[in-house]
Amino acid sequence: MSFKQWFIERFPIDYQKFVEINEKIFIKEPIPTHMKKWLFAMGATPLILFGLQVVTGLFLTFYFIPSPEMAFESVRHITEDVRLGFWIRGIHRWGANLMIISLLLHITRVFFTNAYRKPREINWILGVALFFLTLTISFTGYSLTYNQLSYWATTVGTNMIKEVPVIGGLMLHFLRGGDVVNANTLTRFYSMHVMILPALLMFFIFLHIIILRLHGVSIPEGFEKKYYPFYPHHFYKIIIATLFLLAFMSTLTIILPPGLGTPANPAITPQHIKPEWYFFPMYRFLKLFPLHVGIYATAAFVLVFTFWPFIEPLLSKEKRTRTLFSRTAGILTLIITLALTLWETIVI
Amino acid sequence: MDTVKAQQWLIGIFSVLLIVILLIVAGVEMKKSRTYEPEIEVDEVSARCINCHEKKGLAPKMITEWKASKHAVVGTGCIECHEAKADDFDAFKCPESDILIGKHPTPNDCAKCHEEQVAEFGNSKHGVAQIMMALKGPDRNVFEPTISTKHGCEQCHNIGNYWPDGSIGECDACHSKHRFSLVQARKPETCGECHIGPDHPQIEMYLESKHGNIYTANGDEWDWNYKSGEPAPFSAPTCATCHISATITSGKATHNVSERLSWESQAPFSVRTQEYWGKKTWQEKREGMLGVCYQCHSKSFAERYLLTADLVNLQYNEIWEETIRWAKLLRKYNVIKTDVLEFDGQAQTSWPKEGYDEEIEHSIYRNWHHEGRRFRFGAEMMGADYTQWHGIWEVQENLVKIIQLGAEHGVPEAVRWLKNKNANKFTLYPLYDIPGSTWGPSILAFRGNMPMDRIADYWETVYENVKRAYEKGLLTDDEWNLYNEIYKNKDRELGRDVPLPPIHEEYMKNLKIDLKQLYKEQKVELLRSKIKP
Amino acid sequence: MPEKKQKINRREFIFRTGIFGALGLAILTFVRNIVLYLFPERKTKTYHKYLVAREDELAVGRAKQIYMGRTPVFIVRQDEGFKVFSGICTHLGCIVKWEQDKERFFCPCHKGVFDKSGKVVSGPPPRPLDEFRVEIENKKVYVFVEDKTRSPWA
Repeated sequence: MSFKQWFIERFPIDYQKFVEINEKIFIKEPIPTHMKKWLFAMGATPLILFGLQVVTGLFLTFYFIPSPEMAFESVRHITEDVRLGFWIRGIHRWGANLMIISLLLHITRVFFTNAYRKPREINWILGVALFFLTLTISFTGYSLTYNQLSYWATTVGTNMIKEVPVIGGLMLHFLRGGDVVNANTLTRFYSMHVMILPALLMFFIFLHIIILRLHGVSIPEGFEKKYYPFYPHHFYKIIIATLFLLAFMSTLTIILPPGLGTPANPAITPQHIKPEWYFFPMYRFLKLFPLHVGIYATAAFVLVFTFWPFIEPLLSKEKRTRTLFSRTAGILTLIITLALTLWETIVI
Repeated sequence: MDTVKAQQWLIGIFSVLLIVILLIVAGVEMKKSRTYEPEIEVDEVSARCINCHEKKGLAPKMITEWKASKHAVVGTGCIECHEAKADDFDAFKCPESDILIGKHPTPNDCAKCHEEQVAEFGNSKHGVAQIMMALKGPDRNVFEPTISTKHGCEQCHNIGNYWPDGSIGECDACHSKHRFSLVQARKPETCGECHIGPDHPQIEMYLESKHGNIYTANGDEWDWNYKSGEPAPFSAPTCATCHISATITSGKATHNVSERLSWESQAPFSVRTQEYWGKKTWQEKREGMLGVCYQCHSKSFAERYLLTADLVNLQYNEIWEETIRWAKLLRKYNVIKTDVLEFDGQAQTSWPKEGYDEEIEHSIYRNWHHEGRRFRFGAEMMGADYTQWHGIWEVQENLVKIIQLGAEHGVPEAVRWLKNKNANKFTLYPLYDIPGSTWGPSILAFRGNMPMDRIADYWETVYENVKRAYEKGLLTDDEWNLYNEIYKNKDRELGRDVPLPPIHEEYMKNLKIDLKQLYKEQKVELLRSKIKP
Repeated sequence: MPEKKQKINRREFIFRTGIFGALGLAILTFVRNIVLYLFPERKTKTYHKYLVAREDELAVGRAKQIYMGRTPVFIVRQDEGFKVFSGICTHLGCIVKWEQDKERFFCPCHKGVFDKSGKVVSGPPPRPLDEFRVEIENKKVYVFVEDKTRSPWA
């Protein structure tokens, strides 16, 4: 009696059907031919990075202690004392940055190939939600290092919630677990960073992929409507991407190891505080306008951005005009975002 | 590039790349931004002292200091030094705990572990600091009220304190309690606590010397925590380097600070040191000091520098003798009235060193005790300004003042001296000299109108004087040989025959500008207010 | 012709073994690094010297008791050199007493007896008294005490 038989007796699935489903869903998943080009095959990058974030993040929790007294010290311990701790932390930190970069690239690609159009509007919205969830998880993760910069970035960042009408004050109080950033904030952020947000992300990613699979990958204009199976070609692509990302992030970690900063001191605000680079556009934008104007404008942009697949058809009935409109809006958004980021980077 | 084969190649390449990078990662170590200090362990009694003192806030800083000390690490707690027997002079029963403690540990307590150092200290001039003040200090005993001296001269001279338990010295004068930090004890400023001021400004001399300059510039980069007993890893000497530390060429470190001193140049007459401090002849002591110099300097430079300083000491002796000669003359003519101050028929001051009740006696006193010392110390320690303006200039000024006072009162020799127009009248005493300069030959410095040009048989006399000093045993054979070598090359040392460079003409032209004429041209004609006095 | 096919297959086999061997090795290296990370490094113990007595303070066969922290410690001058013992009985952890007249250690709890070199003479103790490594320098007796730090990770 073979092991397979022994196992199936105890786990009575229809083996034949299982093999079929597996073949249909994975091995023979039809992939459009344009995805043989690397440029179009990068939608999986954020997923690979997310997987690595989950793994490294899990290992970081083995040593991290979320308390105001020990947070910074334990991060220091991981970085300096624990064998290869700097590497795990480095991959986690670079992974977060690369994840945002790859998401931005993915969104840009999807936007300019008009892949969000009917019937894929919901998947666009899910994608945008995933992007903002990623920003939130980055923000909460950053504040866990509990150094001067992250402490004050948390203080300033959470303060913005107050601008939400009516319930802003309540939300701020809930988020901080008190009036100021304190031990409660740290544990709340920890809980969000390692439990709530990853679970939400996983759920959204799952939905995102289900919808993708149900529709099939959209084919940009000018490409043939031909397909090839997922295995082995595309599967290898994912393995190569994973190997490359790991090598790349490890190299980055050696060249630019994750820093520590100075321990958080609630009594002294540093001279120059800046959030992480991916908040630069918003940060610079908020400096240009009174706080509530800036926040409402940002909120409006986010709404338009999220519901763009539904807004676009309202603009024109002509497909060509729409495309022109979308491209212009997309390019403008790109230029403004880049300009604001650059501005904030250069000016202290 | 799209084939499965190409994909497989990529997998292979990136796998190898990743392996290499992961192995590099495993080899990289992060720099540590902090290390953990060892936990301090002490015996039970000390632990009780510490807990109580910290809780009650009774001088808790001394415990903080102690915690940072080497003592804390090797387990030397409170009671090891503050141990006492009931009949000890400083025995004190702690009212909170009934622990018997000695309030003031003495060198006897330190010697329990640092026996050698305490013995060396007892053999040094530091060990007689209190004797010098108490038994030989009429300035303190006669001239000043006692209350003023407690926090004055006594504070420093206590480094040689006589304790009721028979021990002598005060280790924490340099090794400040309770940290007993080597770094702190090694800093020149520690010595400068006492070796400062008009009568012995060693710290000022040091700081103005090249040695001190390098210390000020780079001292904060030096490793002050080097292992004790080993040569100091400094780029310039500190006080301790020359007088205490070990060097490769001068032997082991010593707590006898006078072990490398070959002159008593604080005394009224400079005399060669005797064997009773350091159990070494003055020649051996000089060898020790030269050994320190050799760490950085050539033999020829170091020997020549100290030979010149020796001649300064000998020259000072002649000036002091001249000072005394005039003092005696003035006394004979009754210009100086009282000499020795006495009580109950016992002399309380000496003459002519101290009298204190006449102004001229202050000049005499200072010609030894202040200016005379600065002149000599400065020449020994590279304190140029102290040899010059705070030294010989004021020494000569004092001497002129004495003669002037004699002339005012009609002392014939003094009157004659005052009327004398000879430019040589200020060097009334026998002279020492050495041709050339320690710092390197100059073809200008010794030209024209020097005493050697005005005084007949100058070099022959000077040579004879140095020879006699050597024959008297005040210079070493090495020094006499070096002197002869320099003397033989006198002309080259003086550099008078070498033609001056053309630029000299230019300089001289500039110097010929008539400053008086220039001032007349630039003078502003002003109006005066009409005030009648 | 079949021969040629066989040849290509073998070459292909070697190629695949190489590629996927490398991939497997990469995964192994990755896992190895993670395992290194997960298992905290065992630190080599470091020691500092702790002064316990002066050489001339004890005659041969004499002992002195001190405390290191809360641990009672006995310094005993042997016929040659010094030995320093922890005063904690190796039986059940009571504190032993030095009996000078008999030159021995006595544990009052279960009547364990150790001689002046720490060996068990009688009673239940399973092994000799614990000893410290001793060094004599400049007539002073030091023992080596393990460095303990206040680090939360020790």
